[in-house]
Amino acid sequence: MANETTVAETAHGADHGHHPSGWRRWLFSTNHKDIGSMYIVLSLIAAFVGGSFSVLIRMELAEPGIQFNLFWLDNEAAYLQFYNVLVTGHGFIMVFFVVMPALIGGFGNWFVPMMIGAPDMAFPRMNNISFWLLAASLVLLVIAAFTQGGPGTGWTVYPPLSNAEFHPGAAVDLGILSLHLAGASSVLGAVNFITTIFNMRAPGMLIHRMPLFVWAILVTAFLLLLAIPVLAGALTMLLTDRNFGTAFFDAAQGGDPVLWQQLFWFFGHPEVYIIIIPAFGIISQVISTFSKKPIFGYLGMAYAMVFIGFVGFVVWAHHLYTSGLDVDTRAYFVSATLVIAVPTGIKIFSWLATMWGGSIDFRTPMLFACGFIFLFVMGGVTGVALANAGMDIAFHDTYFVVAHFHYVMAIAAVFAMFSGFYYWIGKMSGRQYPRVLARIHFWLFFIGVNVVFFPQHFLGMAGMPRRIPDYPDAYAGWNYVSSIGSYITSASALLFFYIVWKTLRSGEKIAANQWGEGATTLEWTVESPAPFHTFEDTPDMTEK
Amino acid sequence: MSKPRKSNKKTAIVLFSMAGGMIGLSFAAVPLYKLFCQVTGYGGTPKIIAAAPATPASQQSTREINVRFDANVNSKLAWRFAPERQKIRVRAGVPTQTHYLARNVSDQPSTGNATYNVTPFKAGEYFSKIECFCFTEQRLKAGEEAVMGVQFYVDPEIFTDPNTQDIKEITLSYTFFPAKNAGEEDKQMTRR
Repeated sequence: MANETTVAETAHGADHGHHPSGWRRWLFSTNHKDIGSMYIVLSLIAAFVGGSFSVLIRMELAEPGIQFNLFWLDNEAAYLQFYNVLVTGHGFIMVFFVVMPALIGGFGNWFVPMMIGAPDMAFPRMNNISFWLLAASLVLLVIAAFTQGGPGTGWTVYPPLSNAEFHPGAAVDLGILSLHLAGASSVLGAVNFITTIFNMRAPGMLIHRMPLFVWAILVTAFLLLLAIPVLAGALTMLLTDRNFGTAFFDAAQGGDPVLWQQLFWFFGHPEVYIIIIPAFGIISQVISTFSKKPIFGYLGMAYAMVFIGFVGFVVWAHHLYTSGLDVDTRAYFVSATLVIAVPTGIKIFSWLATMWGGSIDFRTPMLFACGFIFLFVMGGVTGVALANAGMDIAFHDTYFVVAHFHYVMAIAAVFAMFSGFYYWIGKMSGRQYPRVLARIHFWLFFIGVNVVFFPQHFLGMAGMPRRIPDYPDAYAGWNYVSSIGSYITSASALLFFYIVWKTLRSGEKIAANQWGEGATTLEWTVESPAPFHTFEDTPDMTEK
Repeated sequence: MSKPRKSNKKTAIVLFSMAGGMIGLSFAAVPLYKLFCQVTGYGGTPKIIAAAPATPASQQSTREINVRFDANVNSKLAWRFAPERQKIRVRAGVPTQTHYLARNVSDQPSTGNATYNVTPFKAGEYFSKIECFCFTEQRLKAGEEAVMGVQFYVDPEIFTDPNTQDIKEITLSYTFFPAKNAGEEDKQMTRR
């Protein structure tokens, strides 16, 4: 990997302690920066795979009918199953192997210790295990995709589709084991982050003075700690249902498949906040830096995330409005869900208020941050619509929902990843990204994703169901537009890979604080690239 | 650095036990969910009672409601299964008896287990079963036919709850599945 070697070379020069070199440096790494870099590389590789899956999905959906020539499979059943595997793989890879590793494992590992003035994470060896468990998990998932037709269950893995009767091969079992490993990795990572943030802050770095990115990772880590074990429990039940004759989800023997939906979404709803809250953190840092102002309403911003985290655990049944909840239960879940619009509104307001009257510098990270706000508000508005049980029963499982969650959480999180990448790549690699290409990347990507997903609102309102590879001719027009958007987006993504290569290869060297007066957090006080060890002498923050 | 290490360990232990507790809760959710369904009638789960409450004649509802009967058999069980009457009109509060007919059309004895619920789901709370063939596994020899009884009771409160006042008809549905571990017992039955 190009950037691994570059980071290795540059960090070597600044090294003042013994540490392993060559492959040992990475395999046995206990350094939060090296591990963060590995997470980002893993995310880039996974993004290439998961992104390619989405383009294949859009190619299949570009025209009505089944495009049999696409995947070199002439057997119809195998072909349709492969489509399902693509949809499933796209979801899993993007959630567990692209967004989470980049935002939490990557930027979290790199910058949480630096922002609080700690020399490293609390448990450096556990940090190493977290990463390699995730790498093993990705390998298992890829093996699953090529085993006996692959898992075509969707990322929600609902039984009975996922039980031994409808997925008899080992594919779903391998997928479950993969998720178990990813979950273990996340829980270990969460324990590490919480311990680091609670116990290893520099003197004067009080809880209420931590940068908002650290707050975001703290809230996310708690969500991981409480949500992932529920998924692990449910997956274990599914595994024993499939292999050892239990009947947790088998209606024939007194189980209930809807129980899976309850457990899955008790994990699944906090999971979407696990994805978006670190994004909130990055956007807060970026907007504050490029408006050259401290963030507006700091405490409100921090506790809005805490509140979103709390309420995120008591709204799960808004994914199950069609499962026969009675009217009072639905009324509760509608109101609880709508309440989330309040703290998210506080966040949007505070970002805008930070920009208001600021000396705004529209560098690439700031462009992506503004793009994030636009997309997040778009998706938030459709979210408020979908929160209403009465409307959701009509919109359930249509492309309207697909458009909603891609705007509010998927693409928004990707914008935060790009924003964070351009913001911190100088600190991580010591090199300046190509400025003009980065702007082109932003505009291409922004136009691309909107062309993909905006028409899907229309398709969903017209009743097009999700997860089906074929559709009536009436939906042909907007599907074609959406597919063209996907090609624009992938061109932009390829440009991004080129930018990464170009930056690491021939980017100009940059100063410790490349952003000037707006960048006030501790990582900008050390040279770029950040030395292998930082803050071995704890900085004193008491008088600041 | 030795001092914070110790407190790190403590923090980690607390955090890991939180994660462990959540795994425990996810399994505790299984019986809790079952209880929740029985208490609230979620998903159209009917109530099971030992006997209909003795309501004085003066307080008995005179209103009637239609009950439809639905029968399904899983494709792995070679049975015919149908209600004796498709639909009956019952007086709320009065226990009613009806029958299903089941026939094993294979040349092997087999054991079935019926799952059940009522629709609309919100009627589950007011639909009680007193006796049902679905409470136990049913065995049929090759070609055997059996009459299977159900005794149920519709709570008159269904007419006073504003949520369920609009219900004019309740459908009671059964699906027969092959019973778990039935293979062994069926073989023994043949030997006998």
